[in-house]
Amino acid sequence: MTPSWLSLLPVGARARVLEVRGDSILQRRLFELGLLPGVEVRLVRVAPLGDPLQIELLGYDLSLRKCDAASVQIEVLE
Amino acid sequence: MTAQWLPDTEQESPSARPATAVIALLGNPNTGKSSLFTALTGTRQKIANYPGVTVEAKLGSMRFENTEFTLVDLPGTYSLEAHSPDERVAIEALLGRLQETPRPDGVIFVADASSLDRNLYLATQVLEFGLPTVIALTMVDVARARGIEIDCDKLSRAIGAPVIPIYAPKGEGLSRLKATLSAQLTRSHRPLQLDYPEDFLRGVQALHTKLVGLEGKLGFTPTKPEALRLLVNAEGPFYREAEAVGGEAFGREFESLSVQACGDKPASLIEAQVRYGAISRWMRESRTQEKLEGRTLTDRVDSILTHRVWGMLVFILVMGVLFQSIYAGARPLMNLVEFAVDSLGSWVGSHLAEGPLRGLIVQGVIGGAGGVLGFLPQILMLFLFIAVLEDLGYMSRAAFLMDRLMSRFGLTGRSFIPLLNSFACAVPAIMGTRVIEDRNTRLTTIFLAPFMSCSARLPVYTVMIGAFVPRQSVLGVLSLQGLVLFAMYGVGVIFAIPTGLILRRIILKSKSAPFLLELPSYKLPRPRAILLTLVERGGAFVKRAGTIILAVSVLVWAASYFPRQDLAAKYAAPRTAAHGEFVAQRSSIARAYRPALPADSLLQERDFAAALAAVEELGARFDGEREEGDQALDRTTRAKAQADAVLRHEFGDALFTAAGAYRAAERTRDEKLSDVDSQEAGEHLRSSFMGRAGRFVEPMVLPLGWDWRIAMAAIASFPAREVIIATLGTIFNLGETDAKSAPLREVLRRAEREDGTKLFSLATGLSIMVFFALCCQCAATLAVMRRETNSWRWPAAAFLYMTTLAYVVATATYQVAHALGA
Repeated sequence: MTPSWLSLLPVGARARVLEVRGDSILQRRLFELGLLPGVEVRLVRVAPLGDPLQIELLGYDLSLRKCDAASVQIEVLE
Repeated sequence: MTAQWLPDTEQESPSARPATAVIALLGNPNTGKSSLFTALTGTRQKIANYPGVTVEAKLGSMRFENTEFTLVDLPGTYSLEAHSPDERVAIEALLGRLQETPRPDGVIFVADASSLDRNLYLATQVLEFGLPTVIALTMVDVARARGIEIDCDKLSRAIGAPVIPIYAPKGEGLSRLKATLSAQLTRSHRPLQLDYPEDFLRGVQALHTKLVGLEGKLGFTPTKPEALRLLVNAEGPFYREAEAVGGEAFGREFESLSVQACGDKPASLIEAQVRYGAISRWMRESRTQEKLEGRTLTDRVDSILTHRVWGMLVFILVMGVLFQSIYAGARPLMNLVEFAVDSLGSWVGSHLAEGPLRGLIVQGVIGGAGGVLGFLPQILMLFLFIAVLEDLGYMSRAAFLMDRLMSRFGLTGRSFIPLLNSFACAVPAIMGTRVIEDRNTRLTTIFLAPFMSCSARLPVYTVMIGAFVPRQSVLGVLSLQGLVLFAMYGVGVIFAIPTGLILRRIILKSKSAPFLLELPSYKLPRPRAILLTLVERGGAFVKRAGTIILAVSVLVWAASYFPRQDLAAKYAAPRTAAHGEFVAQRSSIARAYRPALPADSLLQERDFAAALAAVEELGARFDGEREEGDQALDRTTRAKAQADAVLRHEFGDALFTAAGAYRAAERTRDEKLSDVDSQEAGEHLRSSFMGRAGRFVEPMVLPLGWDWRIAMAAIASFPAREVIIATLGTIFNLGETDAKSAPLREVLRRAEREDGTKLFSLATGLSIMVFFALCCQCAATLAVMRRETNSWRWPAAAFLYMTTLAYVVATATYQVAHALGA
């Protein structure tokens, strides 16, 4: 159970969201899309040019940039 | 005690089925909402697989039993929260506040079974309005493939709204959906009640009371769900509106209210936790998920299409095929359309008397509109590609692949789609930028859209390349013409990049909004939907061609026809002289043939008509092939001499010689008359309004290698650039009595300056193409920019900037190319 940030999650790893920081617009958008504390996410892949990330949550795929993923605190699941 | 919603108004008791009802279609993007709309109404409309293509609400009608339903297809959205102008449409339309769409009596909520949690988030917001709602469950097959089973009855009971599984492409579940909807309309409905924390709910209540107090100043009656939206988003347009009428007092009260309601937790988190909390309870009751081994098909496809090597290769390949098929694949159809238009022109021309009416119809109307129609195949080809890629789900992958690149230019992956669409037409593309929520990113994308070479520029490139770029291959495989075309598309992109950076760094320098993009699962394209798209898009282009372009074509014809001087008298003398010479020659031919023959009865001589026809045929057979190199020329000459000898023997030497001489005399006369015609047409043109304008700016366009006629054509195409084809045709064909004009390429190749030198060279062609690549010659684009930015400043800035840039770069192109000998 290591607290970390979504932007640092290795490809294929699962994690649980602990907290979403960042500005209120980012928070609102992520909450609406279901990325809120307690939700499980998986890092599916990173875009060929190194950004953005593709994550899976609640049965769908979402793409977000590393700089925004850096606002999402997570605990990595084994 | 659990705090609860109180209904805003008392619900009416059950009644008979209404004669008419308005139903709003709501749901997330990529749920098959548009498919369902088409299946229910059969209305012609665009179906796309990318968020936000449905930027406008669409209306359609459907009958069920005795009720006439009006369906309103609202833009797909993830939340009623107004993050972007696009998303505000949903809540406003739901409340019946938009004039364009009637107030809904009920809702069909479209939810994707494979990602139901996120879909139901919006459903909980919608259900709080208390409208009769039916949930249409789509993608049940996709969910099943992932081991997900939904128990619709249990889900219905949990939510308190009927859930009907449907499969729109095959019409499955549609009659049940209609029957349920119809029954729902006659029942009373209470808004959905979720377990909000008491403080939060009290805050919403208090804020609602406050807003109702401002009702008179706001101009509408705020509802409780809106009070909730306001509490969650103090940065949105609604807050600004309320603050504007409520003043500082409202701002202070809002602050304290917000602290009491939420404490130090963000209101948005409270809302999301309550909604997703309810959803996960519902899901526990009604969803079973089997753990499946292996990856989904979408995931496997994605591992190729978004791979760092294969993904990029496929992307480049897709773009490459797109260009090649537009340039080469559409050719046969284009030729067909060109032929049809030419035939129509000559048929109409031969049935009308010489004069302004014939000029107006043949040159203005048929020539102008027809010239544009000829490029319809290319446009359809491009739209076909875009529609298929959208339907497949590839467009969001393209955004995913391109985001990093676009972010370097201060844009997002979402900007890529509007900019890609700009290669077809900047007008829908600029309208499509509404999905970009960040204002500055959006403005930058709008400003850059006209830099992408749209389909209307393609005609210019096609004609210029066809006329002046040699048919050669480079490195054995690539066509030089294709490369030049590619370079022309590149010019726009290359100048767009620094333009975008300058805009973001100097004028629009705020931080970017978060880039969040759903990657929907891949789906097979639906041919019927794509066909509808093509008909709609093609129709839209033709309509544009038929209005703006046709009007401009007629205007250009009129501007180059009027003021009409009477030059007939001035040119009568050379015409009479040409005729006189011919008559004299005819007499001497007749005398040489047989001295006793009356001068004008040569044609009545037995076999003369046949001999003349033989001479004609001989000429047509051999004189046309003179450009093929020395050996071929020798062969042609020998063959001609042989045929000549045979015919001479057949008709008799004297008769055949006379026929030959007669034909030569006729030709000389026709050439002289045609010269006179051209001179007269030239004089008309020089003195016309358009000619005066062209002459006026000629000194300015000399550095571009242009003359006043090209300047004229460029001026005429400022309202719509595709008009240059029609204009050049009109300018260089004027004076021709035969409506059957040679292809424009030929006309341009032959065109000469007044001193007899060739007007066009490769350098001139390049400078014209570069000018058109960079100039914003499109009234429709500027009008849409004005509408989307709500200010004339943006279109004015775009127009001035692009025109200046086009002038400077085209000048440089001509000077460099000319110096290199092109």
